[in-house]
Amino acid sequence: MQALSVTGLNKKYGSFAVLDDLNLQIDKGSIHGLVGLNGSGKTTTIECILGLQEFNSGSITALGYPPPQLHLSKGRLVAIFDSPSLHPNLTVRQCLEHALLLCEKPKRSTEDVETLLGISRFRDFKIKNLSLGNKRRASIAQALLGDPEFIVLDEPFNGLDAEGVDDVLELIRTLNRDQGTTFLLCSHQLPYLEQICSHIAILHKGKISHSDTINNLLGNTQTILQLKTAETEAASKVLETISGAELIDIDTDGYLNIRISGADSIAINQAMVENKIPVAELILKRASLAGLFREITSEDA
Amino acid sequence: MNGLLIAIKSETFIALRTFASKLIVAAPALVAAAQLLLVRLTEAGQQARDSLLGGSNFEADVANNAYGFFVDSLSTGLTMLGLLLVAQAAYSYSYERDIGSIRHILIRRVSRRSLLSAKLIHLHVLALLSVLLLLVSSYLLSGMLWEYSAIVEDGFELISESEIREEITLGIQLALLPLPAAIAFGLLISVSAQSATQAVSTALGITLAIDIFKGLLGGSGPLSLCEFPAFPDRPVLFTIRQSHSARLFRCIDR
Repeated sequence: MQALSVTGLNKKYGSFAVLDDLNLQIDKGSIHGLVGLNGSGKTTTIECILGLQEFNSGSITALGYPPPQLHLSKGRLVAIFDSPSLHPNLTVRQCLEHALLLCEKPKRSTEDVETLLGISRFRDFKIKNLSLGNKRRASIAQALLGDPEFIVLDEPFNGLDAEGVDDVLELIRTLNRDQGTTFLLCSHQLPYLEQICSHIAILHKGKISHSDTINNLLGNTQTILQLKTAETEAASKVLETISGAELIDIDTDGYLNIRISGADSIAINQAMVENKIPVAELILKRASLAGLFREITSEDA
Repeated sequence: MNGLLIAIKSETFIALRTFASKLIVAAPALVAAAQLLLVRLTEAGQQARDSLLGGSNFEADVANNAYGFFVDSLSTGLTMLGLLLVAQAAYSYSYERDIGSIRHILIRRVSRRSLLSAKLIHLHVLALLSVLLLLVSSYLLSGMLWEYSAIVEDGFELISESEIREEITLGIQLALLPLPAAIAFGLLISVSAQSATQAVSTALGITLAIDIFKGLLGGSGPLSLCEFPAFPDRPVLFTIRQSHSARLFRCIDR
């Protein structure tokens, strides 16, 4: 079952095509990350999905509803935006009570979500007097009053301190695990997305250039081993004898950059020792989402 | 229908907890009351001077009729209400769009149509409450400061109180007509503008510009009775008084 289906989405600002035949499918129960460079169209994509922007062509259904009829889903889909989007002259409690009016079937009380997000002591503060992080917490609390099946978060980690980020990550995990809530996270914080997402879609040049499970995406990228030794020539010769290890280059700091696919760092270290080559440093650079993202977005730069 | 009810509840919730709605309801009545008090103070000084010089005349008697002051204060209050409604209507949608809070409502359970309908209904309710408060407060205060009476000359009743009230009732009914137009105009600007600041300045700017160009209508001016919206320099009631019942108001107007 799909929570979201975007097919052939095109959106232009004047003559500039922000989204060009964009396709994105999100299965129910998944945590899907959407990443892209600044100005790549992430927020535009989200706003098109939510019916807040018109698009030129293509089709979108979220929980079976096209964007103009999304209100018919009666709160099964909620969104938390990059700006907190709360009425500045209301208190936190009043904002939550207001959101409660919009819930078809409230699942949690205002006290519950205040406690959950750690904003109980700010409940009587006006939104305009809160820090950005607490505004974001209040915004997330608002979304959790009902029983949403699908939550769209645009830059959810902006303005949050380390503890806040951990809380949000844990909250996402819990909701996904216990209630099967589907998430679409749009963020530049790639390490956080790597921790939490089951799927990643990379938006580049108006298209989804890569979309897969995070394991598949990172599995296709190479792990690099950096080896430092005084005997670089001898080490290079030894590397030629190890299958699955390929020397890429020797950088200016004297590190041998070795692409390993099949071989592992233990085997390489063992081979060096057996050939009496002293190893000063051995650094394993695992594939990361950030690395993959840089690789993809710099390809056409 | 469900979406409309939710949108109305949402509007009411915000209105009860913010300042703007209270301002619309109370400000016209407060300003009208201030006007009545100031006039009474000025008049008390004038009367003290007249009594020292001695004598009274028909003009002075007419000038002290509370109906004239009541109508004057209504003119001021309704003019202010018209402008406040234009500004608030222009602000309402565009401001919520600026801060983004409108997105939560639109995504969850309310369509755009329901949201705009709710805002129209909400602003009409505010206008109604404001007019009621203005009428009651101005009527009571005018009665406290002056005396409601018929126009009498040499012991003969020229215009009875019931005639005066009929005229004022008609005037009020006509003066209320532009208010829904003011609300609709403000909302139209609100959804079209790119920001709340732009919406309010445009709505008030156009309102005042129409007022300037209204003079070009010449003799057709009174036809634009519904001199939309109520304009600062020629309040609707003033026009009604002049065009519909000149004789009456010549007598009781100061």
